Order: sequence, then C-alpha cells, then structure tokens
Amino acid sequence: MTVPLAEVNVEALSIFAVIVAITLAITYWASQRTKDAATFWAAGRGITGAQNGFAIAGDYMSAASFLGIAGLIFLFGFDGFLYSVGFLVAFLVVLFLLAERMRNSGKFTMADVLSFRLNERPARTAAALGTLVVAGFYLIAQMVGAGALINALVGINFSLAVIATGAFMLIYVVFGGMLATTWVQIIKAILLMSATIVLSIFVLGKIGWNPIDLFNRAEAQSDDGHAYLEPGLRFDNPIDTISLGLGLVLGTAGLPHILMRFFTVPDAKAARTSVVWAVGLIGAFYVMTTFLGFGARAILGEAGTTGGVDEAGNLAAPLLAQEVGGGDGTIGGDAFLAIIAAVAFATILAVVAGLVISASGAVAHDVWSNVIRKGRDSEHEEVYVARIAALSIGAIAIAIAVAGGSDLNVSYMVGLAFAVAASANFPALLLALTWKRFNTTGAVTGVLCGVISSVGLVLVGPDVRSDPLIELTQPGIISIPIGFLGCILGTLLSKEEAKAERQFEELHVRSETGIGAERPLEGAGLAPRPRRPRPEVPAGTGVAPTR
Amino acid sequence: MATPGTVRGPAHHEEIDWERAARSPEFQELEGSRRSFVLPATIFFFCWYFGFIILAGYAPSFMGESIYEGFTVGYLFALTQFVMVWVLAGLYLRRANRVFDPLVRRVVEKTPGAAGYATDGAGTSPTDGPSTPRTGDGRPGDREVTS
Repeated sequence: MTVPLAEVNVEALSIFAVIVAITLAITYWASQRTKDAATFWAAGRGITGAQNGFAIAGDYMSAASFLGIAGLIFLFGFDGFLYSVGFLVAFLVVLFLLAERMRNSGKFTMADVLSFRLNERPARTAAALGTLVVAGFYLIAQMVGAGALINALVGINFSLAVIATGAFMLIYVVFGGMLATTWVQIIKAILLMSATIVLSIFVLGKIGWNPIDLFNRAEAQSDDGHAYLEPGLRFDNPIDTISLGLGLVLGTAGLPHILMRFFTVPDAKAARTSVVWAVGLIGAFYVMTTFLGFGARAILGEAGTTGGVDEAGNLAAPLLAQEVGGGDGTIGGDAFLAIIAAVAFATILAVVAGLVISASGAVAHDVWSNVIRKGRDSEHEEVYVARIAALSIGAIAIAIAVAGGSDLNVSYMVGLAFAVAASANFPALLLALTWKRFNTTGAVTGVLCGVISSVGLVLVGPDVRSDPLIELTQPGIISIPIGFLGCILGTLLSKEEAKAERQFEELHVRSETGIGAERPLEGAGLAPRPRRPRPEVPAGTGVAPTR
Repeated sequence: MATPGTVRGPAHHEEIDWERAARSPEFQELEGSRRSFVLPATIFFFCWYFGFIILAGYAPSFMGESIYEGFTVGYLFALTQFVMVWVLAGLYLRRANRVFDPLVRRVVEKTPGAAGYATDGAGTSPTDGPSTPRTGDGRPGDREVTS
C-alpha cells in the first residue's frame, strides 16, 4: 500500500483542474464536429504530420515511461536505461515497415489492414482479439498506476482517483472521439516535455552542470556501488535482457493505439513526417530520463523511495522535483511537486484515452459492424455502438482497477502488452502486407499462437507464480518466434486462398503508393468545417453527442 | 466500386488493374529503390541494437568500464543508439521526399484510374479523383459535400 505524501495537495488539485478545464473545452469543440465514423476514429484524417508526431509522443509515453522509467533507473541504474533505448529504437521498425503502409491500406483499425485481402470475419476477429488483449492489459496497468500515483501525490483516495481518471477518459472518448483524444495527447506531450526539460536543468544545476558527475554521484549514493552503472541489477539472466529488447522493439509496431494514429493524417507522407517528429520528441525525452533517474539517485540517495513506501520507484521523479525545487515544505519544492503530479495525471489521461478509442474500434468497427452485422449497419449505428463500447470498456477497466485495489500486481502488465503486440499483432500485420501466399488460417493461428504463448509464459513465470515453471520474466524471445511460426505454418498447412493471393497485388500497390487510399474529409483539421445547409440534412444523419 | 462484404472496411477498387500496376516498370523501380534503403538500414539497426543488448546481457563489466572519469562504455553505446535512430530517421525522410515520392507520382500517372492519389503531404482534395462517398450511409444528405 502506498501512503499519501501529504494530506490533500491543494496546489496539485488546482493545476489538475486547469488541465481538465482546458481538455473539457477541447472535447466540447470536438464533439460539435464529431458526426461521422471518420471523425470519431480518425479525426477526419485532418491532423498534420507535426501534430500527429506530438500526439504519437503523447499516446506512447505513459506514466510507465515518465515515472516508471525514472524509478527503474533510480532503483537499478543502467538496466533501467535499457527500457529508454528500446522504447525509442522501436520507432525505426514503425517508420521503415509500417507507418506509411498502414495509412495507405487502412481505414480506422489495425484489423482493416490485416483483413484487407483475407476472409473478413475470421481475420477481423483475430485482429480485434489482438487489439483487445493489448489494450486491456495496458489499460488496467495504467488505471491502477493512476490510482496509486494520484493517491500518493495528491492525497485523494485510490478508488476515487481511479474513478475520476476513468470518467475524464470516457468523456474525452465518448463525446470528442479521436479529435479530442488527439488534442489531449498533444497538450500532454507539450506539458511532459516542458516539465522534463525544466526538471533536467534543475538537476544539472544542482550537481554543478557536469553531466558526467551525475554518474559518479549516483554510484556513490547506491548501495550497489559500481554495479549500479553496469547492466545486470534488474536482469541477472542475459536471456531476459535480450527478450526484453526484442519485445520492446517489435512490440511498438503492434500497439493498436499507436498504429491507429496513422489513420488520422491526410496521407502517407504526413504519416512518415509524424514518425520523424515523434522520434525527435520521444528520443529527447528518453535521453532526459538519465537526469530524472540517475539524478534521483545522485540527489536523493535512498530517500528516493520514501522509506520503502514506494517499492517500484514511481515516486522518485516527483520527489526529485520537490528536492530540486527547494525541498519539502518550501514553496518552490511543493509547487514543483504539484506540477509534476499534474503532468503525470495528464500523461495518464492521454494514454488511457488512446487505449480506449482503439479498443472501441475493435469492438464497434471490427466485431459489431463487420463481423456481426456484416456491413449492413449504418454509419450512425457504428458510431453509436463505438460510444457504448468505449463506455463499457472503460467501466470494466475502472471496475477491475477498483476491485483489485492498489495491491493488484500490474508490474508485468505493460511488458505483457508489448509482448502480445510483438508476438500476435506484428507478425500477422507484416506478413499480410508482404507475403502473397499468407492466408486467413495463417493470420488466425498466428494471432492465437502469439496471444496464448505470451500470456501463458507470463502466467507460469516468476512475475505471477512464486514457484515459476520457467525462469523467464520477458516472454518475447519465445513467444515472438511462436507468433511468426503460427502465421507461417498455419498458411503453409492450409489450402491456398485464391482471393487472398489475387487481392494481394491491390494491397501491395496500394500500401506502397497510396492509390485507392482512404481520403481525408473536406474541412477536417483546424479550419472551420463548411456548414451544411440545415434543411437538406435528414434527421439522424449525424450522431449528436449522446445526452 | 466497393466489394460487397467489405463495405465497412477500406473500400476496394476493382476499377484499377492492380496486376498491371504491380508489374509496371515504374512500380518495380519504386519497390527496388525503397528496398535498397530499408533493407540495409533495418539490418544495420538490428545489429547495432542487438549488439548493444547482447553485450549488456553477457558483458556487464565491460559495459561498466569507464572511458572518461566515470562515463561508461555502456552509456556511450546507449547514446549511440539515440544518434542512430535520429540519423536513420532523418536519412529515410530525405530519401523518401526526394526519391520515393517522385517515383510514387510516376506510378500514379501511369496507372489508369489512379489520378489524384499522389502523396503531397497536405492530403488530396476529394474532388480531384474518383470520389468515395464521404460517409457510408449513402443518404442523399451526404452527397452534397463531395459534389
């Protein structure tokens, strides 16, 4: 259990209130424009490359990156920094292999691309499963983390914190769709980058502007001595280190909420530009995790864990902010702590909103419209179901987080989400786009093999069982090859699919050139949309923001 | 235009001869040109990254050696990963803008029915090509926007 640092932190709550007010105003603006499916899921494809780069950064850098990695570096030194490197290198896979192809081939969801030339219903169901498993684990981890952090930083009750986070997330998604989600993510990315830059400068100032001295001071402050600067404190098994690296680098390219962002830009060129922006922002952020993590060790020493209150090290960065701002009880220290707490809150909101909207796409666009209704529903119905789906998914995640409480072990869930993404989603997507012979059976077996092997390995591993059947905390090194093998064997052992091979050339040319790609809506983006003459719009064409 | 059964997914375009487009020398050149960058770049970053990860796993004390006053081999190697990502992303962007995009435009020009799909970064106007209905309902009220 975490214990609140203070009673109720009024300063932090006031900054929360400002952030929430701004994001709610944006949501209101977005809700006025969200009348159709292309705006609900893809923001009308009117987001520019630079905007989308910020939004990808905001979607990707979760509280697990901000507070979690600072904490991991604080606790384990160099091994924590391995995460920073892996999270960034992953974007080369996205840039070289998927970003432009996704934009050219898809419509709203990852499943659109996977099922483009395969049998619609089984392939979509498999892709929706992969999406929901990844989004589910990720979402629960974020919600529990949000509750515990807000509880510790701001002093409000865990359940209340989870419910409040969940409620704002649902307001953004249900009313404002992807347009609101995008702007929440852009604002969050700006806040997070600014806070991290300021905190890094303060840390550097504190240690005398010599970055190298940071390492020596951190080493001196660690009970592990020089081992703190060497790999191996967190992962004593080298196979785990390699497995983690594989999972991070290939997992990002299978995260449905990240891939979905590529449908929000007008074309492939903007998709490419957005990854380059994201790589600049995310890279700069992860370099600065050095100052947060090693800085917390150098400046706070063992006090960074607040006397064992916080074993995961999640509070290292906020406590560091408090210390470099002047210390506990000073105006500067408390204000800086409040700012970091508010930024962490914005960080969580942006990520969970992105997760919920991708999960709503899997339920409403994939399963409901295409599998259950076989395309016979109206677009109005699709968006309506999407809102219901978002509400239900959010409610389930809130319920699990509240029921599990802050003692629910979520430490392995983000890693597991990456492992499933790398083992189930990435192989199937890549082969659907590049291998002509690939067929529906291959896609279904591949996704199933990837999901079952990664979840199974974690369930029998040391993070879940006290008597693990396998000494491997990171499943990637086994589950990713199983995912690929599932795709390949499933394809080769089943009959050739004439339609899949015939339509391969369409997908192939379309994914590389954008010929036939979904077009942006007229007037999407920031420009005011031309008003339709009222009388000519039949009642019920647009979906009014519900209630 | 849209194939039954995929009405709610991305619209298929049966009116375009995809086989012919795929066999065209312009498309072959585009593919070859893209592959000649992406393949070596991918192999390079995989080797560089997994070299780093494998050394971190199997040679921890080497990674912990100081190069300059406590600045370690491992940390320097980690920083080179950041530089590698930025440089490769920048090179890819430049190559794509200068080489791939003009090749894409040529494929579009040579493919009957593909006019209006060239990548220009600002989105193609829905009016300068075969227009897809703005919304899938096909209600009369939706048409006015595209026409």
